[in-house]
Amino acid sequence: MTIARFCHFPEPLPYPEAVLLQERLVAARIRDEIPDTLLLLQHPPVITLGRRGRTEFVLADDEALQGAGIALHTSSRGGDVTYHAPGQWVLYPILKLGRTEMGTHGYLHALEEIALQTAGTFGIEAYRKEGKAGGWCDQGKFAAIGFKFTRWVTWHGMSLNVKVDLRGFDLIVGCGLRGERVCSFESVLGAGCPNMEPVAETLRRNCEKILERELVEVLEEDL
Amino acid sequence: MQVPEELKYTESHEWIRVEGDQCRVGITEFAQSQLADLTFVDLPEVGSTVSAGDEVAVVESVKAASDVYSPLSGEILEVNEELSSSPERINEDSFGEGWLFVLKSANPSDLDELLDAEAYRALLPAE
Repeated sequence: MTIARFCHFPEPLPYPEAVLLQERLVAARIRDEIPDTLLLLQHPPVITLGRRGRTEFVLADDEALQGAGIALHTSSRGGDVTYHAPGQWVLYPILKLGRTEMGTHGYLHALEEIALQTAGTFGIEAYRKEGKAGGWCDQGKFAAIGFKFTRWVTWHGMSLNVKVDLRGFDLIVGCGLRGERVCSFESVLGAGCPNMEPVAETLRRNCEKILERELVEVLEEDL
Repeated sequence: MQVPEELKYTESHEWIRVEGDQCRVGITEFAQSQLADLTFVDLPEVGSTVSAGDEVAVVESVKAASDVYSPLSGEILEVNEELSSSPERINEDSFGEGWLFVLKSANPSDLDELLDAEAYRALLPAE
């Protein structure tokens, strides 16, 4: 099985730093200087807009965002607007898509599968919704997806709400889908919600299985 | 996965159809399948001069965005205007009506650098 590096960040990483890091890793991956690399991290509160994200889906003005300590950034990824904050795992796989691909369903399907199986492990009945990419359950959407291919190296990726404060999502129309509810493992499972670490470990195992890569843990300073 | 024999290919999943001294360019069936339902296409300017490997277009689906690279150096002669209202043409017929642009190669011998169907097929996941 192909080997890939897996870096689990101990502290929340500000969004712009995560973008710079990914840009560096994507450039190195394109030149085959590094193997595939997966980042698992949390962001301090931030609203991000995809390439064609529409500011009308951000419901708070700059002043309100600043007051709430929430940054706003535009991003090169596909997809519309989303919210990140501690209590949410963000997975950024930097993979060169090649001949050992994850089945014929493609990369989006693989990211969804990682979200669904991870939720399933903790007892959430999760499923896909036709035409609305992401991870869904009866209580709403718990995982959001938006990614970019640069010379067919993937970056950006998926976010999974574990115990993030969902009030942050009230400030946006998530993924530009009006009237769709956002949920988290905590809002579904209540007191039975797992801590962040067991979810991280399950995500890692599911990445290994679904992306068909053997993951080797590396530290941030070794990236 | 379809890989028509008569086309040339790049490692970044563009196809090239040689039509006299012009080349029609699109993205392959594999590329469109990885992006899923396309919602937006950014095309190059007609008349612009491009170099092989330049980012000349962006294709975007609900959740993904991908750059498209010019397979050859030359001049953009024509772009597929229909894609601005119907980007799904790329999903429906990536090797036909979903073409992106036509360019005139500055140096026709560059065509020899491109992959043939067999070499391109070897880059794709086993089905």
